[in-house]
Parts: sequence; C-alpha cells; structure tokens
Amino acid sequence: MADLAAAPPRAQHGWSIGWGDAGPFLALAALVLIGFLINPDFLSANNIANVVTRSAFIAIIAIGATFVIASGGLDLSVGSMAAFITGVMILFMNWAAPSVGTAAIPLGMAVALVTSIACGLLNGTIVTIGRIEPFIATLGTMGIFRALITYMTNGGTIAIDRSLRDAYRPVYFGDVLGVPIPILVSLAVALVAAYVLYRTRYGRRCVAVGANEDVARYSGISVARVRTLAFVIQGACVAIAAVCYVPRLGAATPTTGLLWELQVITAVVIGGTALRGGRGRVWGTVAGAVILEFIANLMVLSDFVSEYLVAAVQGVIIIIAMLIQRMSKR
Amino acid sequence: MTAAHAALAPAGLPGPVLRAERLAKEFSGVRVLSDVSLDLRPGEIHAVIGENGAGKSTLMRLLSGYLKPSEGTLFMDGAPAEFHAQADAQAAGIALVHQEILLAEALTVSENIFIGREIARFGRLDERAMREAAAAQLAEIGCKVSPNDLVRDISLANRQLVQIAKALLGTQRVVIFDEPTAVLTHDEVDPLLDIIVELKRRGVAILYISHRLDEVERLADRVTVLRDGRMVGTYDAHGLTPRRMASLMVGREFASLYPARQDPARLGQDESTPALEIEGAHVPGFVTDVSLTLRKGEILGLAGMIGAGRTELFEGLLGLRPSSFRAVRLHGKPVGFHSPAQAAKLGVGYLTEDRKGKGLLLEEKLAPNLTLAALDRVHPIAGLDLAGEADLLDRAVASYDIRLRSRDAKAGQLSGGNQQKLLLAKVMLNEPSVLIIDEPTRGIDIANKSQIYAFIQSLVREGRSCIVISSEMQELIGLCDRILVMRAGRINGELAGDAMTESNVALCATSSATNEKIPGRNIDG
Amino acid sequence: MLRNALIAAGVTTALLAAGPASAAEKKTIAVSIPAADHGWTAGIVYHANATAKEINKAFPGIEVIVKTSPSASAQVSAIEDLSATRKLDALVILPHTSEELTTPVKAIKEKGSFITVVDRGLNDPHIQDLYVAGDNIAVGFNTAKFLVNRMGGKGNLVVLRGIPTVIDDERIKGFRDGIAGSDLKILDIQYANWNSDEAFKLMQDYLAKYPQIDAVWANDDDMLLGVLEAIKQSGRKDIKFALGGNGMKEIIEKVMAADPVTPVETPYPPSMIKTAIYLTAAHFAGHAPVRGSLKLDAPLITKENAEEYYFPDSPF
Repeated sequence: MADLAAAPPRAQHGWSIGWGDAGPFLALAALVLIGFLINPDFLSANNIANVVTRSAFIAIIAIGATFVIASGGLDLSVGSMAAFITGVMILFMNWAAPSVGTAAIPLGMAVALVTSIACGLLNGTIVTIGRIEPFIATLGTMGIFRALITYMTNGGTIAIDRSLRDAYRPVYFGDVLGVPIPILVSLAVALVAAYVLYRTRYGRRCVAVGANEDVARYSGISVARVRTLAFVIQGACVAIAAVCYVPRLGAATPTTGLLWELQVITAVVIGGTALRGGRGRVWGTVAGAVILEFIANLMVLSDFVSEYLVAAVQGVIIIIAMLIQRMSKR
Repeated sequence: MTAAHAALAPAGLPGPVLRAERLAKEFSGVRVLSDVSLDLRPGEIHAVIGENGAGKSTLMRLLSGYLKPSEGTLFMDGAPAEFHAQADAQAAGIALVHQEILLAEALTVSENIFIGREIARFGRLDERAMREAAAAQLAEIGCKVSPNDLVRDISLANRQLVQIAKALLGTQRVVIFDEPTAVLTHDEVDPLLDIIVELKRRGVAILYISHRLDEVERLADRVTVLRDGRMVGTYDAHGLTPRRMASLMVGREFASLYPARQDPARLGQDESTPALEIEGAHVPGFVTDVSLTLRKGEILGLAGMIGAGRTELFEGLLGLRPSSFRAVRLHGKPVGFHSPAQAAKLGVGYLTEDRKGKGLLLEEKLAPNLTLAALDRVHPIAGLDLAGEADLLDRAVASYDIRLRSRDAKAGQLSGGNQQKLLLAKVMLNEPSVLIIDEPTRGIDIANKSQIYAFIQSLVREGRSCIVISSEMQELIGLCDRILVMRAGRINGELAGDAMTESNVALCATSSATNEKIPGRNIDG
Repeated sequence: MLRNALIAAGVTTALLAAGPASAAEKKTIAVSIPAADHGWTAGIVYHANATAKEINKAFPGIEVIVKTSPSASAQVSAIEDLSATRKLDALVILPHTSEELTTPVKAIKEKGSFITVVDRGLNDPHIQDLYVAGDNIAVGFNTAKFLVNRMGGKGNLVVLRGIPTVIDDERIKGFRDGIAGSDLKILDIQYANWNSDEAFKLMQDYLAKYPQIDAVWANDDDMLLGVLEAIKQSGRKDIKFALGGNGMKEIIEKVMAADPVTPVETPYPPSMIKTAIYLTAAHFAGHAPVRGSLKLDAPLITKENAEEYYFPDSPF
C-alpha cells in the first residue's frame, strides 16, 4: 500500500499501444491463422481485399460510434440513417444528372454529408437538450429514417442513374496501387478519428464525459455540447460510409443497412471501447469491424458449418473474441 | 519507542472473543501486513490507528473474513477459526460497518437491511416480517427513519445508521467499525458514538478504526497503532493524548498539524479591494440571501452542518445549479459565472468535496486528470502537447508531493491524500486568484492533512485568497483567519481571533440564536 | 400472367353485368397485406391499391379497403380493428405468418365473412373460401429444368437462399427436384436473407472458394442484383448463367434485352393480389359463388413473352 516516494520515470508517450489494447488485434491474428488452416484460399490477396473492403462501411460507421459510445451515448439509428442518406443521395444525383452530368456525383456527396450531419445533430439534440435516453431517442429516429427510405422507394428500389454508374463505380471497386479505395477511405477516417480522440481537447473531453459526467461538469466541460458533437461526428461517418456504399450496388432499398447498428456496436465493443463510456479505441474498432467480416467470410469458406447453424457459430466466435480481449487486459 | 504490549488481560476480565496471532498478508508477493497480534474482549472498545497505507483496512478485512491471512491464525473463543468467506465470519458473530456507504439508493431502508438474507415464507418474501425487524433494529440504535423510506431520500447520517443497523442484524459478538464518522458532521457524530458505547455496555467486543484521534481518545479502552504494515504496539488508552497517538503513527514527534498563522494584524489592516464579494445569494432550496466578503490574502472558513447550504452556495456561484445573486464582485469588478470554465478563466477555482464522484476520473491516468480543466494549456495550436502535459505532471508531482507507484497509475489507485493533492494541482493549473476548497481533508491521513494545510497557507502567502468549507471544526480553527457559520441556508455567525472555538462554532451551527449570544464575537467585514 | 389477365377480364364482365343489381346494399371487402418492406411486398401494395381504386371507381356497390401492416402482430391487430368497427363482407389476406394469423382469421370467418387467402396458406385450410397463390415449387423446378437443358446436364452450381420460411423451402425443394437425375452439382447453399448486400458478400465468398462455378441461382431477384455485381467485380468468365426469380422489372429488362447470363426469369407475380381481389368481388357481384383454390403457374419468362410481365410503373 505504501506509495513510492520518488516519482518513477516517465512512460513512453505517443502512439504506442499498450498490451492492454492489443486484445482485438490478437483476436484478429488468431482468426487469420485459423482461417488459413481451414482454407488456404482465405489468405489469397483477392479474398483479403474483398473482405476488408466489405468491412469498410461498418468500420467507418463504427469509428463514429466509438465517439458516441465513449462519450456515454449510444446510436441505434446508424443503419437506417445510412439507408436514408443513400436514398437522399441517389435521388439528388438522379435529379441533378441531366443538368450537370457527372458533377452530380461530388454534389451528391456534399448533400449526403450535410444531410447526415443534420441527422446526427437531430439525434444529439434530442439526447442532450431533450434529455431523452440515447437508447430510446435513437430507437425513435431509427424508425423514422427507416420509414423515410421505405417511403422514398415505395418499398422497392431506387437505382442510380445509368449515366452516373460507370463514373461512380470506381469509388467502391477502384484501387490505388492495388489497395481498394474503401480501405483507403476507412484508414483515412480512422487516422483523423484517432487524432481527434487521442490528441485534441475534444477527444479528452469526450472520454471524460463518458467516464464521469459530474467530473466533466465540475471541470468546466459543457457536457451537452460534447455529447451532441459526438452524434454529429457519427452522422458525418455515416455519410462517408454511404458515399462508399452507393457505387457497390447502385441502389437504395428499404433493407439497405438493416441491422448495421448491431454490427457497429459489436465492432466497437470487440475493439475495446467500453459500452458504458469513458474509454474509446479507434483502431480497436477498425479491427473489430474486420473481425466481424472475417467471421462471416470464414463461415462460407469452411465446410464444417451447416447453413442453419452459421449464426450460432458467429455468436460463439464473437464471444471468444471478447474473452481474448478481456484476458489480454489482465 | 516503548512498545508497551498490554496484551495480557487483567485478572477478572473475561478472555478475548477474537484473537489474532502474528497475522500477515501478501498481495502478489508484496507484503502489506506482517506480524500483527491483537485481541478483542467483550465489553471493550479497541481502537486501531495508523496512517493511510499502514494496513488498517487489510487488518480489518482479515478479521471480518473478506480476506484470508497469508500467515498467522485467528482464534474465536480460544479455538482456531478459519473464515473462508465473509459469510463465515458473519455466522460467527462478527459484523463489519463499512466506511463507505454501501447501500442501494433505489431500494427502501428495509430492503437494504435484509439484502442477501431476506426473510421468506414458502419462497415468498415476507415483507412485513422484514419491515418489523428493520423497524426494531433501527429503534434500538435510535435511528428515526422509516423502513419504507427510500435510501436516496434520507440523509447521509441516517444512511450511516441504516448501515450500522444492517451490520448489527442478528446476534453480534464482535463489531468492527471502519471510520464510521468519516462522512458525518460534528453533531452527527455524538449520537453514533453513544450507540457504540451502548454496544460496549452490552458486552460486545468493538474494534474501532478512525482518523479522528479525539474520538479515539474519548472512546477507546486500548489502542493498537500500525505503521507501514507493522505493529507499533498496543497501548492502554488511559493517558494517551492525540498528540502522542499522532507521533506513534508517524514515527516522529509531531509539532503541529497546522502551519503558522499569518499575522492577524497585517490582515486587518489590509485596505486593498476584497478578492471576492457576494451579495444576496439565493440558491433555491438551499441558500437564502447570503452575503460574504473574502479579503485578499485571507483564509476564510465556512462552517455548518451538512445541508446548511455551504456547498450549494458555491455550486450556485459557479453556475452548477440554478441560483441568483444580487451582485458578485471579483477584485472589485462585477462578474457573473454561468459555468466553472468561465469562473476558471476569470480566476476562481473550486475543489469539490466529492473528489471521487466529481473531482477525478478514477479510471483515467494522472496526466489527463491533471489537465482536464485546463486543456488550453496543453493545446498550443492543433493537437495536444503530450510532452508538455507530462512536464506539467512532473511539476505537479514535485510541488504537491504526490506519491505514486507508477506514472501510468490511474487516479483511483492513489491514496485519498494523494488524490486530494492531485485535485488541488488540477485546480491550481488554471492559476486561480480565488480558491474555494470544499472539505480539503475529508478521509485522509494526518501526514497528508498537514501537507495540505501547508499548501493552502503558502497559496495565500503568494497573494491568493481562499475559502475553506469544512465539517471539521478543528481544521477551520487551526487554519482560518476568520470563520463564517452557516445554518439552514443563512449565515448565522461570524467568528475571528479568540472567538474561534469549537463551542462557538457549534453554537452558531445549531442554534437559531443571533450573533448577540456568542461571546467574544468579532464584528467586521 | 396471360391467364390472370383472362380471369380478371372475365370477372370484370361479370361485375359489369351485375353492377346495378347489387347497388342497393354496399358490400365491404377488407384487404390486409404486409407493408412494403422489400421489392416483392412493395409490388403487392402497389397492385392492391391500384385494384382497390379500380373497383371502388367502377362499382358503387362494393367498397375495398386496403390495410398494410409491418408485422404479424400488427396485422392481427389491424384485422381485429377492421372487423370491430364495421361489418366485413369479405377479407382478402396475405398473412405475414401462417401460425399467428390462423386463429384471428378464423374468428372473422365465424362472424360470417368471406375469406380469401393469398400466397401463404393458413394452418387450417378449412377457414378459407378462396385460395390464390403462386407456385413456389414451380419457381425452383422450372429454373432447374432450364439449367439442366442448357448446360447439357452437368456443371457446378452455387445457390443463394432467402430467409428460413415455407416459400424459401419450397423453392429450394423444387430446384433440387428439378436437377435430380442430372449431373448438375450444388457446390454450396447459404442464406442471404433476400438482401442484395448480403448476396453480394456471399457471392464474393463463393467466388473465392470455388475456382469453377458454372451457374448461380439466387432464389429472389433482389439477391440476384448483388450476385451480378460481385461477378462483374471479379472479372470471372466461368459463370455461364446467373438466374433469379420473382419477376423484378430490372431483371425482366435484362431478359427483354437478351442478356446472355440472365436469359430467363420465373415469375412469382405480386399481381396475384389483384386476381384475388377481383375474384372476391365477383363472389358478391356475380350470380354464382366463387370458391376453391387457384394456383398461378410459374412459366419461364423468355425474351418472347417478357413484355407481358413488365410493369414499368410498379416499384418492383
């Protein structure tokens, strides 16, 4: 119990990741190894590229969710918001395409960003100014966004204008030096997010608010502003994900983004962010999103699992991944 | 040091109920307690004192079955006893009253008392039997709350009593009190001590752990002193003064807890603008029409019972709760704060009384805690300057003598005294000219207390001004230049100089009498 | 579809003849269907509303009310509310699930309403007066037969199935029956929840796992869209056929354009609700009672007959 008299030497600061944070990466490594043993094709460049690219949407949205969850909030609306933003974006681009041609694509991206920031602001203000539990508030907006996309599509499909398809396609299917663009986008988002969370006043405050709202308040932090901004960041991330998503299938449907919110929350928690707030791990979140997609991929590539039991095996693997993470913290 | 082992029972007294022989405890190779022997006799109060980290709580947890000793033996009525879990000790008649209030706020008093040992008939909870038993138990210790009250609706003092009622449920032969008065105000303490004396009269063996040496002097029959995990000795309490106890605990002679006071003459003559003037403060439900003036370079004490509105006055001032003020002047300039951030910017710092709940992020490391209220200082242009932050921590650790095992420690791993120093360093990072400290030494040990008093004194010598809110009258009297006493949301008296005595403070805090009745009062300000 | 149109035309004639006679007493037909949550149900909603408008306009003696419900429990509440507030002469229902709707529909039947069940049967077939459904087994079977014929009876297949339900099971059963006896081999079969995104991912994984795939069957057109995108991205040339089912207009367009990979389509037309509503109306307006069951065929849609199955205004 005795405290040491002299101040111990300084620890290394910077971007280094301690062992306690290595959990999700260990789980990811274990999964890659198992995958390779099950089916060597798993490690083929093509498969890895496909799977990591696919995980980009969840990863990008989950990076936003890392802020919301670290600040003590929760956003259940991200899946339907993504669908809604996709719909708004496609409708806008289709409307603009005849007059401005392919310039409709960047304009559509801007519209997506503005709309989803507004959606995030809506979530944030309902939670902070309206003082409604985030779970309930975003459960409400989840229904609203889902209904809006269903209404916009009449229950069917809104497809992107043919004149824009080929111009926009590379945003999902293209690559730079062999690295698919969605991977580059998620890396960029993660870099910026890690900087904001670990190296700015806002990041500190975000975590402080999630750790203990009273301490934050007594330290002169505007809790409402910090929380609201977390939802806005979440909104911006949804927009970026939607921008990458649209060129993949070129359409928005009422089932777009269905249950993404659960995958997002799972990715965030696997990544080491505390669900009750006060601890955020951006790179862990990215690893979490990749883990989820790897698991789904492995289910198909392996021949052991009956198609009827896939979900059960996925559940077991997620729990094991969490246990690895928990044990590596000790 | 004359370690007068008074271990043998005087002839004619009953033998010990519980005896510990050469207890030792290691945690992952670190020895936190070694070679401690003591015995508890029926109808006797045995106090254990020692600084934080001396091993008091480890000892207490060994005796009550929360921990198993690494070495040594416990004897119950002379026979070796081994407690595998707290329930074993409980079954043997050993009860522990925790220092912290461990009650579920959303449940009723009765539900809390019976939590984990509910009375059920045929598998169905017998609420009535539990309520009646709870009511009887509460009546016995003179606690006036109803078993149906929700714990969140009753006062801190009553919660402590409920906790005692809970511990005493069933036949108890040994009751261990772990700093039961730490969270209580002065006049809440007496009824509690009466209960303890009553238990003793009934033949219960009592182990009493406390920082408040005056209480120990008043209550204890024997005193065991621990230092650095070892036993200094067991002493007959008769004739053992608090000063002697403090010396035994610290291991050196102790001159004075309080730093030398400033020259009162100098303060009285200071004609410069007051540091802070508050006029007509209202905090709905807590404070009514309070005005006060803090002079430059002064330590102004604010006494009163919990609930008198002391804390709420300043939370209102900083915009932490709804309030109105006729006027607030800082160094003569009218101001109004809407947030602690703005107050900090203008030079007013506030240390909360609740350092664990409102002061520090216990799960965070030290540096983020230190800079949380002053992030602008480590944010030169774009990102946080982590190296600069580490420098600030170095400086804080050095200037406030914060003792830590590792720089990567979390705030929650520091001892109470070091947490308080860290909190002080955190608030001082904004360089406040006016510092408001709420309960500066609650639950911390003597050595740290003395250091914190010295820090406060040196801060005012630098020209800052300080308001100290405290429930410990001794502390206010020893430290402050002047004391205001609040009662029921108003200022009920002002004391300075020789008028600052415990009885005067207590009188102002409790009686509705006006200043006239207080002898030697000092009218100024 | 041709047959549907004929039935509709015949019924319309009967109604026209009977119109004035039945004007005295107004009959109420309630239509309870799932809310539009994917392409096919959107088609159902579209056709139900269009038909209600037609009938309400043409025949003052009959009022058709359309009610959509997002879930089985909401559908139970909806039909209970409908029957509580007014007398229902007939109920046309496309149940969310057979299990949950059987008892509530039976209760309405006992109040004297005429019951028409569409697509998904109830657990107790005695409740229904009229049953109109597509043929899910034929959807699978006809697709399988086409593949057997065109691939010379051998090759490697992968299959994407939807959500574990009777419809899905029947289509898969029909397909397995269809390839039985040939050397077509199903390499893999997995659920993709009738969702294009999941189908895209699943197809990518199939492509990574199997170096040689001769044909893909997705048992619904939403999934086929994802499959086609994944094939396009992979650049693989070994896949000779990628077929779907349900008659989505985007896929019909491909058939009309003689797409080499998707040259045929099987219908499971949402317009079956239209047939059901018209036949129910005929029961009241016509002179003869209409009872029994009607199973719509699922013939192959080819370039030649695609026009008949193409509804450019429908969302599906």
